[in-house]
Amino acid sequence: MTAIIRAEHVAKIFRQQVRRSGMLGPLKDFVMPVTRPVNAVDGISFDIEPGEAVGYLGPNGAGKSTMIKMLTGILAPSAGTVSVLGRNPQAQRVLNARQIGVVFGQRTQLWWELPLIESFELHRRMYRVPASVYQRNRADLVEMMELSAFIERPVRHLSLGQRMRAEIAMALMHDPKILFLDEPTIGLDVVAKDVVRKFLSRINRERGTTIILTTHDLQDIEEICPRLIMVDDGKLLFDGTIAALRVTFGARRRLTLEFAQDPGHVELDRAEPAGGEGVQRLFLLPDDQRPLLHILSALKAGADLRDVRLHEPGIEEIIRTHYQSKVSA
Amino acid sequence: MRDTLSLLFYLMRLRVRTRLEFRAALLITWLAQAFGYAGIFASIWLILTRFGTIGGWTWPQMAFLLGFHTLGYALGACFTLVQLRRMEDIVLGGEFDTLLVRPLNPWAYLVFSGFNIEYGGHIALGAGLVAWAWPQLSIAWTTDTCLLLAGGLVSAALITASMITIIAACALVLGRARYLFGIYFDFWELSRYPASIFAAPFQVALLSIIPLGYMAYVPVAVLLGRPVPYLGAFAEIAALSAGPLSAVAAFFFWRFCLKRYQGGGG
Ligand SMILES: Nc1ncnc2c1ncn2[C@@H]1O[C@H](COP(=O)(O)OP(=O)(O)OP(=O)(O)O)[C@@H](O)[C@H]1O
Ligand SMILES: [Mg+2]
Repeated sequence: MTAIIRAEHVAKIFRQQVRRSGMLGPLKDFVMPVTRPVNAVDGISFDIEPGEAVGYLGPNGAGKSTMIKMLTGILAPSAGTVSVLGRNPQAQRVLNARQIGVVFGQRTQLWWELPLIESFELHRRMYRVPASVYQRNRADLVEMMELSAFIERPVRHLSLGQRMRAEIAMALMHDPKILFLDEPTIGLDVVAKDVVRKFLSRINRERGTTIILTTHDLQDIEEICPRLIMVDDGKLLFDGTIAALRVTFGARRRLTLEFAQDPGHVELDRAEPAGGEGVQRLFLLPDDQRPLLHILSALKAGADLRDVRLHEPGIEEIIRTHYQSKVSA
Repeated sequence: MRDTLSLLFYLMRLRVRTRLEFRAALLITWLAQAFGYAGIFASIWLILTRFGTIGGWTWPQMAFLLGFHTLGYALGACFTLVQLRRMEDIVLGGEFDTLLVRPLNPWAYLVFSGFNIEYGGHIALGAGLVAWAWPQLSIAWTTDTCLLLAGGLVSAALITASMITIIAACALVLGRARYLFGIYFDFWELSRYPASIFAAPFQVALLSIIPLGYMAYVPVAVLLGRPVPYLGAFAEIAALSAGPLSAVAAFFFWRFCLKRYQGGGG
């Protein structure tokens, strides 16, 4: 299959104005502005196949929104190329716009003063959605996102959660092939996040809509996206499945053993002792797929094992470890 | 093309409907604007009753000029001013990004979805003044004068819309434009007087790079049969073409800035 989204050595350099201090600072800034380059995106390449759901993850300022803006035709890359559905999204902005859906978690595309349904109607006209398709999609989306209770209400009266559900529904009204979401769950409560996640994952499965979403919330990715792209400081850190992330970043499972009485010296094959004393002992297990029973069978026959706990690190933990190691390096 | 036009018309209707939901507020705006202008015009009238003329212009002539100016301005501003004056916020707040992901020209979207009936007050006042002054000035009702009146108003509307567009486009690149609107309105206020009363360099500016002289002064002077400095016999054609020429300039300037758009941060 050919890629539906392709980024090749993409870079984006912004020029940020440096503000000077002192009494004459503002005057100098106006007459002779000094700028400094910011490498928001720095040589990133990836391919995304139709039907994939990809999470784009990174700390603040990592360049996530900038990448989304280049893929949706808002900005042109400073170097490299992006291609979406085989097109240059900025050169063919309007054609591209008809086939993608975009949701910005931090801003609205709904018509503030008018009832929600009017925004949908405007969307239908703007994207030239055939009446039958629109009727079907609207009925489906309103039901899935439970919008019927407030569809007649002006958007300004909706809660953030209701509004975000409406935004996402609207972005799908024209059957886009790709849905881009920039922090769709930001500011939502646990319940609303859950609704959005379940919905996106269902749309991805049932309609085959390709999804690419940026987020700070790793749970979004764990629940929606089998594939994860991690960036920091404009650079690609990781691209692959969450399982592969564990291997890449050497995330080890932690095994806790609890004995009835102090077993003395305990040794497990290829497991690194990680503290604990007396009846409780900790080990770090390498990511080598060995079954737990196999590992435990190495224990001395007389050891009176009371409890065994195995802790799988979540991606949050993996990433935190990674960032911490970067800061201390 | 037809689809796009009907979409733009639909956007306009949506905006009008939103405005009509707050009818009382609209009425108050109309009245407030009409009174605001009436106050300024009354003070000009007072000056004229005392001194007879301003730069050789009598009150009915001056009233015609003011009416023409207000009307031409309102026709252009109702499509542009209220929304494009916010351009700084539209860019910095990221609203412009959301326009760029829609399958529509962002300028057309802004202009039509922001169509503003609050200018009803201006239009009534401007048309009223023109209608009152015209018969007193014994301007002949010929095809020529009617064409000049209508064409001059369209030209004035285009100048207004173009200049507002040009200023708004600056926000795409600089992220700022509000102070430029301030400067524009300073010149705009002066352009409701006959340009001939100003110092020569200023006259030249108003007839060239800041084409506000064509908003009202040039077409009205031609209609009244008064000489126009620098332009002479070309005054009529200049009045009619200033609008379309500004529109072309605005079109290219907007495109130039849009190409350099770097997002509103965040
Ligand atoms: N229009 C702009 N002009 C100048 N610099 C910009 C602009 N937009 C973004 N930047 C800079 O580029 C870098 C990446 O910004 P971006 O918005 O892509 O980050 P992000 O990963 O989306 O962060 P966040 O998680 O905070 O949303 C930041 O350093 C930011 O300051
Ligand atoms: Mg962002």
